[in-house]
Amino acid sequence: MTRFVENSIVFPYKRSLGPVIGAFMTGLTEQRILGIRSGDQVIVPPLEWDPQTGAELDPDGMVEVGPAGTVESWTWVPAPSEQHPLGHPFAFAFIRLDGASTPLLHAVDTGAPDALRVGARVAPRWRGSRVGHIGDIIAFVPGEQPEVDGPDSGPAEAPVTMMDYNASITYRNPVPPVLDRLREASRDQRIIGQRCPVCERVYSGGRGYCPIDAVELGEEQDVDLPHTGTITNFTIVTPVQYPGQTETEPFARVFVLLDGTDVILPYQPVVELPVGEVRVGKRVAAAWAPPNDDIDDAGAMGGAYGHLIGWIPSGEPDVEDPDLVNRIF
Amino acid sequence: MRSLRDVAVVGFAQDTAVKDRDRNEVEIISPVVREAVERSGLKRRDIGFTISGSCDYLAGGPFTFVSGLDAAGAWPPVKESHVEMDAAWALYEAWVAIQTGDVDSALIYGFGKPSLGDLHEIWTLQTDPYTVATLWPSMVDLAALQADVYLSSSGRSDRDLAEVAVRSLRNAQRNPYAVVSEDVSVDELLGRPVTHRPLRDTDIAPITDGAAAIVIAADDIAKRVCERPAWIRGIEHRVDPQHLGLRDLATAPSAAQAAERAGVNDGAIDVAEIHAQFSHEELILREALGLADGVDVNPSGGPLTSNPVMATGLVRIGEVAGRIMDGRAGRGVAHAAQGPCLQQNLVCVLEGSN
Ligand SMILES: [Zn+2]
Repeated sequence: MTRFVENSIVFPYKRSLGPVIGAFMTGLTEQRILGIRSGDQVIVPPLEWDPQTGAELDPDGMVEVGPAGTVESWTWVPAPSEQHPLGHPFAFAFIRLDGASTPLLHAVDTGAPDALRVGARVAPRWRGSRVGHIGDIIAFVPGEQPEVDGPDSGPAEAPVTMMDYNASITYRNPVPPVLDRLREASRDQRIIGQRCPVCERVYSGGRGYCPIDAVELGEEQDVDLPHTGTITNFTIVTPVQYPGQTETEPFARVFVLLDGTDVILPYQPVVELPVGEVRVGKRVAAAWAPPNDDIDDAGAMGGAYGHLIGWIPSGEPDVEDPDLVNRIF
Repeated sequence: MRSLRDVAVVGFAQDTAVKDRDRNEVEIISPVVREAVERSGLKRRDIGFTISGSCDYLAGGPFTFVSGLDAAGAWPPVKESHVEMDAAWALYEAWVAIQTGDVDSALIYGFGKPSLGDLHEIWTLQTDPYTVATLWPSMVDLAALQADVYLSSSGRSDRDLAEVAVRSLRNAQRNPYAVVSEDVSVDELLGRPVTHRPLRDTDIAPITDGAAAIVIAADDIAKRVCERPAWIRGIEHRVDPQHLGLRDLATAPSAAQAAERAGVNDGAIDVAEIHAQFSHEELILREALGLADGVDVNPSGGPLTSNPVMATGLVRIGEVAGRIMDGRAGRGVAHAAQGPCLQQNLVCVLEGSN
């Protein structure tokens, strides 16, 4: 039976808006929807460039449209996702706002699909507290009159120049059996690899195949690897505080060439080794978590896994070998 | 683009499955690449260029195409490239590389494992990030809106959509790589629920994991290794504006432009494989490509029955080439699409005689 792990990846975008989209977003905080003149057209939402010629459009040519408009086409969303604008069934529609030459995509909240038809008149339901985001319009609702949901906190105090956009995608990834074997072995303070039956190369870190011979590597190919080695390469990472980053201070990731083998363990953490003392040729030994510790890790992107928590200085003298630095795989 | 050197498809292979299979991407790709190379008659080390098409968002990891390269055999080092596009665009790049004279043959592969995430939501991330993606219309939501625009402006009905689905599902019964197939009547299908007005589930391409690989070769090499190469007579791609409100969604102007430049109608077309992930897209594309009524469209069942994303467009080229190489067709057109509502389109005309 394949085991799956579920993980969500958040893409925390911060976008600068520029003169045209910025003005559009600022307008939303004022309960105004702005388009931009392009020839005899009014494009909504506005663009910085003429879509036909690429010529720059004049931000002074922005005009207010709507607030009401006509539904040109629609589809019903019977089971909204977590990220959809409404938590109950609604319509997505192309709405031609009065005075606009192009339709705007937005949600229409009618409660049921039979209350909606092409040609229906709709107007925005504004959020009481607006930040300069397309979601300042909660949805469009039937009728000519805009509404405000809850107490109105008024327009933005300064022009809106930035926008947050936290996209999130959830994945269900199968865990290769070899990774489970690696983690199990680490509980007994063993590091295992797989020896290719064709070329005899030994792979570490749970690669389930030999990329050179394109053969799969199963449990029969498992071999025990030594617990000491030499740093061949490293990087010092200065953490950027993006969401999910738990490191606060600069830290090292090192490549370790295991003794008596051709095996490199990439992207390993170090233990009791200050970043200033990390260097090529440094001798290290495996550092283990106590066997009874509950280890919670997915072993993703290489790195240490299970009870192997990293590499600690062994105290031996450095290896002087100018070719070491070339050993990256 | 006018071709400076004749280039032909000389090998094709594919594999697909429904979601939640145990194999990872590399394990899916390896046998497909091996098979395409074997069928090409070329030796792996004699192929001058390797290029793939895939999308990192599908697996949720950066540079996943680099591990995919393990499947193509990249040791000793090979000349290699990648496009974050359907592999049909990788084939375009390989074709250009052969035109320049840099290389004489190329291996192209595409792969996708959309069962890991939510494909329809992932595709939202390719829409305008300021005013569209933030509302999270899924790929199906946007397609349903396009279907509504198309049906009301063309005067067609969901019966026309059902006819596309029925023919696709029937054709798929003869395709071992189809993940859905069925012998069903139009009336029976119309009795099923509308799930994304005006679309039914049968109007929507199924989630499919899979990979495809093609080998192309120039001039004399193609003639030497292949009895009846499928010559690329024209290949073009064009794109429409990203802003969905700026174009008439009932049409696909960039597909029409690409078809014209590729010379689709410079001769009779026996077979067309079209990258339509929704029933109405096939109808829009038939018009854009200017296909006559008698043309055999998606004899494989098409993307409505097998949709290994990032390889689906390449499969279209492979399916047409396969029919030419085995003599079932003389001249055919393959089409690939990317982006919401058929935003970007590639058209490739293939022919048997030299
Ligand atoms: Zn090997």
